[in-house]
Amino acid sequence: MVETVTLTIDGLEVTVPKGTTILQAAEAMGNRIPHYCYHPGLSAPAQCRLCLVEVEGAPKLQASCVTTVTPGQVVHTQSESAKTQRRGVLEFYLKNHPLDCPICDQSGECKLQDYVHEEGRPKGRSREPKRVLGRDDFGGDVLFYGDRCVMCTRCVRFMNEQAQDPRLTVVERGNRSVIDTFFEEGVEGSPYAGNIVDICPVGALVSKDFLHKARAWDLDRIPSICPNCSQGCNIELHVRDNLVQRLKPRDNPDVNQHWMCDYGRHRYEWMNRSGRLLLPKPGEGRHAGGNGAGDIALAQSLPEAGSWESVLGDLADLLVDARAEGAEVRAVASPFASNEDLGALRRFVDALGGGRIVFRSPRTDEELPLPGFPKLVRRRDLAPNVRGAELLQMSRVGSDDATGGLDDLVGFEGILVVMGDDLDDMAPDFGAAARVFAFLGPQVPRQLQAVTCLLPTVTHAETEGTFTNFEGRVQRFWPGLHTHGEARPAWQVLDLVAAAVLGDGTVPESAAEAFQRLADDHAVFQGLRYEELGTRGALVNDPVPLPGA
Amino acid sequence: MAFPYEHEREVRILSRGWGDPSARTLEGWKALGGYKALEKSLSMSREAVIDEVKASGLRGRGGAGFPTGLKWSFMPKEKTGLQYLCCNADESEPGTFKDRELLRWSPHQLIEGCLIAAHAIQADHVFIYCRGEFFEAVQVLARAVEEAYAAGFIGENILGSGISIDITVHSGAGAYICGEETALMNSLEGRRGLPRVKPPFPAAVGAFGRPTTINNVETLCAIPHIMTHGGAWYREQGTEKSPGTKLFCVSGHVVRPGNYELPLGFPLMELIHDVCGGLRPGRTLKAVIPGGSSVPIMNAAECEACTLDYEGVVEAGSMLGCASVIIMDDSTNLVKQVRRMVDFYAHESCGQCTPCREGTQWMARILRRIEEGRGTEEDLDTLLDLGDQMTGTTICVLSDSAAAPVASSIAKFRDDYLALIRRGERVGAA
Amino acid sequence: MSETSSSSGPVPFRNPGWAGNTGAFDLSEEQVRGDDYVGVRPADGGHASGAATYPYMKVEKSPEAPLFEGPYRERFDKILSRYPESRAALLPALNLAQELRGHISPETMREVAVLLDLPEAYVRGVTSFYTMYNKRPVGRFLIQVCTNISCNLCGGDEVLASFLKHTGTELGSTSADGDFTVTEVECLAACGTPTAVQINSRYYENVTPDSVPAILERLRKKGE
Repeated sequence: MVETVTLTIDGLEVTVPKGTTILQAAEAMGNRIPHYCYHPGLSAPAQCRLCLVEVEGAPKLQASCVTTVTPGQVVHTQSESAKTQRRGVLEFYLKNHPLDCPICDQSGECKLQDYVHEEGRPKGRSREPKRVLGRDDFGGDVLFYGDRCVMCTRCVRFMNEQAQDPRLTVVERGNRSVIDTFFEEGVEGSPYAGNIVDICPVGALVSKDFLHKARAWDLDRIPSICPNCSQGCNIELHVRDNLVQRLKPRDNPDVNQHWMCDYGRHRYEWMNRSGRLLLPKPGEGRHAGGNGAGDIALAQSLPEAGSWESVLGDLADLLVDARAEGAEVRAVASPFASNEDLGALRRFVDALGGGRIVFRSPRTDEELPLPGFPKLVRRRDLAPNVRGAELLQMSRVGSDDATGGLDDLVGFEGILVVMGDDLDDMAPDFGAAARVFAFLGPQVPRQLQAVTCLLPTVTHAETEGTFTNFEGRVQRFWPGLHTHGEARPAWQVLDLVAAAVLGDGTVPESAAEAFQRLADDHAVFQGLRYEELGTRGALVNDPVPLPGA
Repeated sequence: MAFPYEHEREVRILSRGWGDPSARTLEGWKALGGYKALEKSLSMSREAVIDEVKASGLRGRGGAGFPTGLKWSFMPKEKTGLQYLCCNADESEPGTFKDRELLRWSPHQLIEGCLIAAHAIQADHVFIYCRGEFFEAVQVLARAVEEAYAAGFIGENILGSGISIDITVHSGAGAYICGEETALMNSLEGRRGLPRVKPPFPAAVGAFGRPTTINNVETLCAIPHIMTHGGAWYREQGTEKSPGTKLFCVSGHVVRPGNYELPLGFPLMELIHDVCGGLRPGRTLKAVIPGGSSVPIMNAAECEACTLDYEGVVEAGSMLGCASVIIMDDSTNLVKQVRRMVDFYAHESCGQCTPCREGTQWMARILRRIEEGRGTEEDLDTLLDLGDQMTGTTICVLSDSAAAPVASSIAKFRDDYLALIRRGERVGAA
Repeated sequence: MSETSSSSGPVPFRNPGWAGNTGAFDLSEEQVRGDDYVGVRPADGGHASGAATYPYMKVEKSPEAPLFEGPYRERFDKILSRYPESRAALLPALNLAQELRGHISPETMREVAVLLDLPEAYVRGVTSFYTMYNKRPVGRFLIQVCTNISCNLCGGDEVLASFLKHTGTELGSTSADGDFTVTEVECLAACGTPTAVQINSRYYENVTPDSVPAILERLRKKGE
């Protein structure tokens, strides 16, 4: 039983666990007290002096970020003295601030802008010249604009407490103090350094990658899951012009707290890749054409695109024949596919008589933990859904760079389904011996020339669905990009073909239904409900972490 | 050889060895009755020592005037591990120069005080944090500590009492803020000298995370005398609420500046005119800062009836602080001196809290402008408003200290500011 | 107001920073105090209780001096023995490094960081916080003139100007012969004897603009 404390903040009573600070208690009731130096994932030095509130009975204003609640406490965040204090402190912040919002990346999501707009003086009184520090390259992806800095020291504390790679410090003292590294040695190579850009409340620390790329107010922010390793960090896709512009971490205390690694953060360009498969196309059968000389050449070498109905209808016919003749079925899946896609593939293969499904996943030897929150690790598997694939009895093959391992399929004569793996390392005649060779994927496969049909599918950034992370946590992602051409979710394509082959008409109409069917089909997912996964996810039954994930 | 600062009205208790090089040695100090109080205190229970100090009414001499016995009693009753005593010898308040004399003239007095205090608060180790610039004083003190170790006054099982206390002399490296007790602890631990947020208070979580008490040099130097003669004896000097003697550091425009040990409650005007030989010939009193640069400035009228005890100075409109009396006569350019003080605070601000970091520098800039004749009357309102914003809004009181002389000087010497502003307006400098 | 003052006579001492009435500035430390009692502390720090203090008595520094060898290593080890955690030895170690090398260069910070197993950036942060650490080389004699209020009331600015004039330097820069660096310093806690000047480790008190040439002459000649 958690001991609780009841207090009054701005006339409203609130009951919070003992030991909560006033700032957290206020936040719990939707009252955000302005602050800079406080961050929920870091220690609180109480030095920005912006979160000072009036507590009845206290002689001075109290720093709400370090003052714990006491029973019967009466707090005023909007009293005249608290507001005067905030107005005064904000004026001090602007004393040396360059006010270069028009060229500042933080503009629009800047706490200094927000607070001054809300409560600042309409006009500053300083007539003195401003201090000028200029710009400093901190190495890695980080640029430092000293003049914009509010000296909250969040970045220093992140590097000390969370990254435990104390490369930042406050240099000098008083008005001359500035954040710096050890002379020319920057934060380069520190695997979590990108987070200091996220937690900087102003535009002092900015990302080189994002520099002058987009304005904050033009970005759509879509909750998603980082697809770059099996940790499953909760992130936001920041999208403009149907392109992902950057990735930002999203809070999830069970997975990544407030953080994400630089490895994941900087691998988003592939979601914007061109060379997409736009329309479903029949292959040329055992065609001879094509020489693998690039996307356009291949696209031109293929027959005209058809409609989904005709292409899927033709495929179903081929499959019915092959099945009648007792052809075996084998499949290659991808650990970048959602649970729904993998579940549909499993069902599809089982419906055709059952067969081995393999997948290839990029993998590294190096784990990169965040020492201050050791549960957050850049995992060895560099794909988001390895766990999901394994739970559906798919087997990992190939080497750590996601190549090889498919030799037994080269001369395979049955039904071959490839979902999401480009097979770029295989010979152009891969699958030539197969009776039917269906390819599903977002990209035009550059090498393959023996496919029966090419079926365009969406990436996870363009649809909704779930991934299962290393420990068996099923987490939702949401669509952030418009899809290209007529691409569809793979689960839908497979289910439509399966329905046509089996003559059984139940095709899920949404990712939610696809997930529900997965949960019904497989004991390990039983009991999970798509709607209840929320933004924090839920663990599968009997979750055992992937060995060496 | 007589010590240069000396006057017949002095009551020399703490300063009695000054000017006599032999008093620096262990033998010389023992000849003056040294280390008797230690022997007596070690034979008493720690509670009895604290009671005696409480009975004396001794108040902390570092500036705040907090009762010393009460401070000691905040230390844990049940000891759970190492505990520390820090002696604050980081004397840097402009106008204050008493601790340096105590360190270099009577180091054994301080050592004895430290040992008694350490016994009272069950400290295992005493760190004497000396100002880095005090090379000479530190040499004398280190030598004295060495002697006391050799004589068995420090170390294991002192005088057969079963009590073991170590003393280490530590040099700072140039930061006024390290005189603030929590900043001192940070600096001692090898960190930037940033004041800590309280709570937790040092008596709970202090140096190296352990219960710690921090006392000023002068406070600790009074302890042996209180233990020798008793708290009641100490109360014979001074006033009811401010008992005992105090070292008054008099500087500025007087004929004989210096340290004078006088009973608390001594009249300010008598200090100036009698003890210090008055103002320089032909000059009149303009202003007095009675407690180091951090306290409000007093004008001549306020000085008239002021008595130098904690309550008396508050009544007169300022604070006693560490009793550093800075005298300014009518030749003083007050705005320049206030600017110089604010420059000092801007230079010494640790830079943690925004109001202090930005405010001290901003104030200094405005004052510089006024001094150079480019100020406006509006600037005075801005200064007062900034002062309000800097008072009571930060972790420590450095920014309050910077604001105090500005606000008080504008209130009491507005004409000085206006004269500079008007002169500037006449020549069109603004 | 001033009638009492006229009877007081002249100030009976010149330089009490040297433990009494030493007249002018021309006595050595030994002559004033006797070196048996207040000598330079030994390089090995003597008793461990005082090893962390900062003598800074040597005039000749060597930027190449190793950290730490021989008696200095002994002193460093004594310092380490006095604190419950090694980080606390950072300031004493930097003091010691400056005593040997004259200033704290980035390379010195790095070496000290390695010695104490501290992050380099941390050592830089601490070093830059404290004003007594010279971040750049300074002259053989670092002349620090107090211009804070008590000295300022009695002519600190003029003494500073006199030092600048007679050394021919600008504030903070070093004279061409490498002898003198003149800087302003905050209150030295010798307010009763204005103007207070600290030259290397020694305090000169009651300094007036006129006494500056004699002080500089003595420094040039006797090296102390």
